[in-house]
Amino acid sequence: MGPLGRETWAQRLGTFRASPSAFMAGPEGEDLGRDLLSDLRSEKLSEPMKVALLALCLEYPAQLWPEVPAAEAAATSLLDTLVLLPPRPSALRRPLLLAATTALAAGGALSPASGASRRLLPLLLGLASGRDLGRSFGPASEQRPLQATAWECLRELESCRPGLLRGCLGLLRTLLGREGPVQPLSLLLALALRNALVIQARAGAGLQGLLTAGDSSMEGGPWNWTLAEEGDVHLQPQAPSWPAAEEGECGLGALELSPEEARELRATVAQLLDASYLLTPVAQAQLLWLLGWALRGLRGQPPVLFKPQLVRLLGTAQLTLLHATLALKAAFGEALFTAQDEALLLRRLTLAAQHPALPLPTHLFYLHCLLNFPENWPLGPTGEEAAPLLLGSQLCRGLLPSLLHEPMAFLARLHLLCLLCMEEEEKEEKGQDQSPRHYLEELLAGLRQRAALDRGPRALATLCFQASYLVAHCLAGQSVVLTPLTQGLAQLYRTRPALAPHFVDLLDRVGLELQEPLRVALRQEVVSRPGREEALRWHLLMLARVADGDAQSATLNFLWAAATHCTDWGLQQALLRVCRALLRAGVGGGLADLLQALARQLEDPDGQDHARLYYILLAHLAGPKLGVALGPSLAAPALASSLVAENQGFAAALMVQEAPAPVRLSVGPRRAEGPVPVLQLQVEVLEPVYSLELRFRVERQLYAPLGAVHVPCLCPGRPTRPLLLPLQPRRPAPARLAVRALYSTPSGLTCHAHLPPLLVTFADLFLPFPQPPEGAQLDFFEELWDSCLPKGTESRLWCSLGPGGLEALVSRHLEPFVVVAQPPVSYLVAIRLPPDSRLLLRLEAAQADGVPVALRTDDWAVLPLAGDYLRGLSAAG
Amino acid sequence: MGILQARTLERYPTVEKRAKVFNGASYVPVPEDGPFLKALLFELRLLDDEKDFLESRDSCSHINKTSIYGLPVGSEELWPVVAFLKNGMIYACVPLVEQTLSPRPPLISISGISQGFELLFGVQDFLSSGQKNDSELNTKLSQLSDLLLQTCPFGTLLDANLQNSLDNINFASVTHPQKQPAWKTGTYKGKPQVSISITEKVNSMQYDKQEIADTWQVVGVVTCKCDLEGSMPNVTISLSLPTNGSPLQDILVHPCVTSLDSAILTSSSIDAMDDSAFSGPYKFPLTPPLESFNLCYYTSQVPVPPILGFYQVKEEEVQLKIAVNLKLHESVKNSFEFCEAHIPFYNRGPITHVEYKASFGQLEVFREKSLLVWIIGQKFPKSMEISLSGTITFGAKNHEKQPFDQICIGGTAYLKLHFRILDYTLTGCYVDQHSVQVFASGKPKIST
Repeated sequence: MGPLGRETWAQRLGTFRASPSAFMAGPEGEDLGRDLLSDLRSEKLSEPMKVALLALCLEYPAQLWPEVPAAEAAATSLLDTLVLLPPRPSALRRPLLLAATTALAAGGALSPASGASRRLLPLLLGLASGRDLGRSFGPASEQRPLQATAWECLRELESCRPGLLRGCLGLLRTLLGREGPVQPLSLLLALALRNALVIQARAGAGLQGLLTAGDSSMEGGPWNWTLAEEGDVHLQPQAPSWPAAEEGECGLGALELSPEEARELRATVAQLLDASYLLTPVAQAQLLWLLGWALRGLRGQPPVLFKPQLVRLLGTAQLTLLHATLALKAAFGEALFTAQDEALLLRRLTLAAQHPALPLPTHLFYLHCLLNFPENWPLGPTGEEAAPLLLGSQLCRGLLPSLLHEPMAFLARLHLLCLLCMEEEEKEEKGQDQSPRHYLEELLAGLRQRAALDRGPRALATLCFQASYLVAHCLAGQSVVLTPLTQGLAQLYRTRPALAPHFVDLLDRVGLELQEPLRVALRQEVVSRPGREEALRWHLLMLARVADGDAQSATLNFLWAAATHCTDWGLQQALLRVCRALLRAGVGGGLADLLQALARQLEDPDGQDHARLYYILLAHLAGPKLGVALGPSLAAPALASSLVAENQGFAAALMVQEAPAPVRLSVGPRRAEGPVPVLQLQVEVLEPVYSLELRFRVERQLYAPLGAVHVPCLCPGRPTRPLLLPLQPRRPAPARLAVRALYSTPSGLTCHAHLPPLLVTFADLFLPFPQPPEGAQLDFFEELWDSCLPKGTESRLWCSLGPGGLEALVSRHLEPFVVVAQPPVSYLVAIRLPPDSRLLLRLEAAQADGVPVALRTDDWAVLPLAGDYLRGLSAAG
Repeated sequence: MGILQARTLERYPTVEKRAKVFNGASYVPVPEDGPFLKALLFELRLLDDEKDFLESRDSCSHINKTSIYGLPVGSEELWPVVAFLKNGMIYACVPLVEQTLSPRPPLISISGISQGFELLFGVQDFLSSGQKNDSELNTKLSQLSDLLLQTCPFGTLLDANLQNSLDNINFASVTHPQKQPAWKTGTYKGKPQVSISITEKVNSMQYDKQEIADTWQVVGVVTCKCDLEGSMPNVTISLSLPTNGSPLQDILVHPCVTSLDSAILTSSSIDAMDDSAFSGPYKFPLTPPLESFNLCYYTSQVPVPPILGFYQVKEEEVQLKIAVNLKLHESVKNSFEFCEAHIPFYNRGPITHVEYKASFGQLEVFREKSLLVWIIGQKFPKSMEISLSGTITFGAKNHEKQPFDQICIGGTAYLKLHFRILDYTLTGCYVDQHSVQVFASGKPKIST
């Protein structure tokens, strides 16, 4: 595509600026960066148009060339364009230099590997040091402005890559001596010096002659990148110059300077400071911030160098200069400002914060500075706004708020007044009328009077509530302030109920000190004054926030009376919201009647349904559950409809939810006693549960259905007793039990979880026979032995023994069932298997490695199970 | 850093890149112009939809005590945005914060805040100076982008005086001699001349009530223009007071003043007045810039208000009866450029009928504006005392049309007196021509 015309470009730039993202996503987006670079060389476009194109490069490089290679290519193209300019005066050289710098720095392409960086840096340095770059580089008349531009570009590169110019400090100093205190050069040197000090301190190195290195080190030859390390690691936060920030983070204390280096450093700083009055005020301020930061905490560099500047700075009305003075104050404290100096600075700041010749934004900023004043010896905790110690009530007199102030100025001054009241509280109570507290009360009353005006602007009401919030926040502990405030606000509500949303907002945000009394006062205010229509709407809104279990009858009376006026849907909903609030608060009897009446009386079916639903909830749910059901919806918030949200809330609260298992169950040691086998279940609790009900289902119906086990409460970390689960086998066989848990969570939800199945083994079903009388054991056993046949069966098998022999095996597994024992070689064992089977074992004539076992049972089905069991024993040893 | 001009933000991508590193996880990119402007208008309460309570705007805990705002951008907040409204224009910029934004650092620890303010004040001065109509304003707005390229390269402000930079562009070829201050764009060639003028304004509130003290404070500004040859001429200007003059206080000086006496630094209206107060002469040694500049601002507490007023309002059904008395103090020069009393009746219906009797001057009625203007003219009569009485009738109140006034509530009303006296200062403050010392070649003409 050939070069675009002027018109086309103007239109294109306009569209792009309107929404860069939309433009770049459109069909022309892809080509914009390329077209722009190529058309910069087109002869058809005028210079102003090209300047406009370059302005775009300066502002939107990230959109035009989002990738590093593209940024690199763009910078190269811009540099080519610069070199190709004919040697006559041109307005393009400066923006081209700025654009190439921006492309490299913003595009992240600045690095030793980048060809464009390797071209740009020597070019800038050459221009900066005033070396003759040949006739091709612009006419002589442009050399001076281009030199300034080069300094600016270098400063930006140093800002983005601290340490880049560390090797040029000597050169820059020499230049400053030669060129005089030129503004951009002074700022560049100050920045490079600051960065170098920080980096050298971090490396634990001295200045290594950087300040005195001759100008030969960087000129001509390739750029020394070893001094500029990779990435953003050297970007240092500004805060360390502020006392609130961590001490030592700045770490300049680590910098060891030789006496020679210290002298050079002092000379450089003095050189910069002494000529600082030649800079514009904003540049002076930048210089002071940089140097203050550079020298803070540096050993052997007394801040007294700054002293000659202070007198000049203190007198000025200039915002940046006074701010820079405060920064110096913060950086050096007592080392630079004696107590008298501090008092004078505070005085000037107080004066400037109210000076009629200064604009409001300046006043407000100074007020902020007063409350964050960097004191030499701060008393309070750092980071909190406080009135400085030296700022007495005398100094503050002119800073008191008045109703005629702008809202922002009013609030800022009010904050100061609150801080004064706080101090007053700590001191003795003095003359009542003149006290700041008295003044504060009058102010608040005035604010309320204005907020009470019918149809007054909302901003006035907002200001009144903001002030009340601020006062309640600052003076939370002072009932002497909060009591009249509460009364005043209640009265304001009486006069203008339309402010109800503001009251609700205030109640939601203030601390309990004001919240509780105000809530009670407002409830009192509402229920004692039934209103109609407009006011009723606000009363109901208010009551939904302030109603609770107290003053039930008055509240219900109010609602009965209100119900007759609630003719439209909005009012009915508001009424129902109050009922809901009362339900949550646990109001019972009288409310049920009201809800029933509403369910009949309301015209709107939606209202009827709601009333009925609330009634049903009230009638069927216990108090705590009701609270949860009506509590804040657990479903996704921010739904458009409150009704949908509310229903989702109910659904979440009243339905049983599937959840992961809150407990782990395992079968514990066997009990082998009692009439039926009982499983001992060990419980491991993973999260707190209430009203736990465990339900068991026996697979294949081998046992009779099992009863549920109930546990009122389980908490992790608290010991639990084992749960007992009696089994009623229909056949003596092992089984799997499916387990489900039903429980409530601490948040009141009812949940349901499937637990892993439990296995009941054959041995879990063993029960002993009743103990026969002493001496009759053998006969008892023989009788049982004989009775098994002919119905049952007999079998023999070899049971191998472990090192403990037969005695160990029996004591470990069969102890409760032994009828006759002749240790260590012979045992007779009788096992009862519910419902009505038996298993008899003769373990006789044990040898070292095993014992022959004769077994009889009256139940054929038991035989394979018994065989498996015994083989299992012998395998286990 | 970005600056809003004619609905376009100037952007500085290298600054944004640094912000991303400094702010870390708390970094919020500056949004595109449209969303930025919308969020700003909302935050400044300029979208006039105040009917309903809006939590994000009206919540009691949403307290702004400075002109620095947090703008909602999606789910995050862009902070700090320095912004203010002046003469129907919004000025805004987003300064770089060279630290993490969470927790929010105090504004005082951010150097960019005052730099941002200074930039906006500079833009405001540039746009409002000498501006007469919209086309002039548009011309200036169109110059702004180039000017910012000059004075604020890479978002670092080099000079808040944009007019200077404009001159600088036009004089680009001038070679700077050694020690040329950065705030002086060229050198003056021609007849040396120093002009100084003093303007005083008096702000007075008279309540005529026991519990509220009346106030009257003079605010003065001294403006200079020094046309002198040489790159750094030294000048000393002294302000003097007559023997019984009221001391100057709260003196703030231009940065070109090289040193200040400690008596000037400490003289302040905060202190209780006594006879020991420093009463001049106030010496200001300085190296003046080329352009006209405000050498210093001061306040002063004169012993009496120049004009003492008495205003009484009585409500009788739909009518108001008013009585006004004004008395010029004998010490004040009785020669006005103009003098008129504005008597508003806000928060009421339009004025339907006025009957009045004035001892002096004439009354103009602005019915729709609910305003009476009593034009007193150039001189008070010999008695130095004038009076006005009358009865005003109002029509029905129409809320939509009338702006709300915060003061005229119930029985509260006020009268505002506007006047100007030429060649006269209330404090008596003057510049003695002989006290102006100039250390430069040639003998200057000095006018005050």
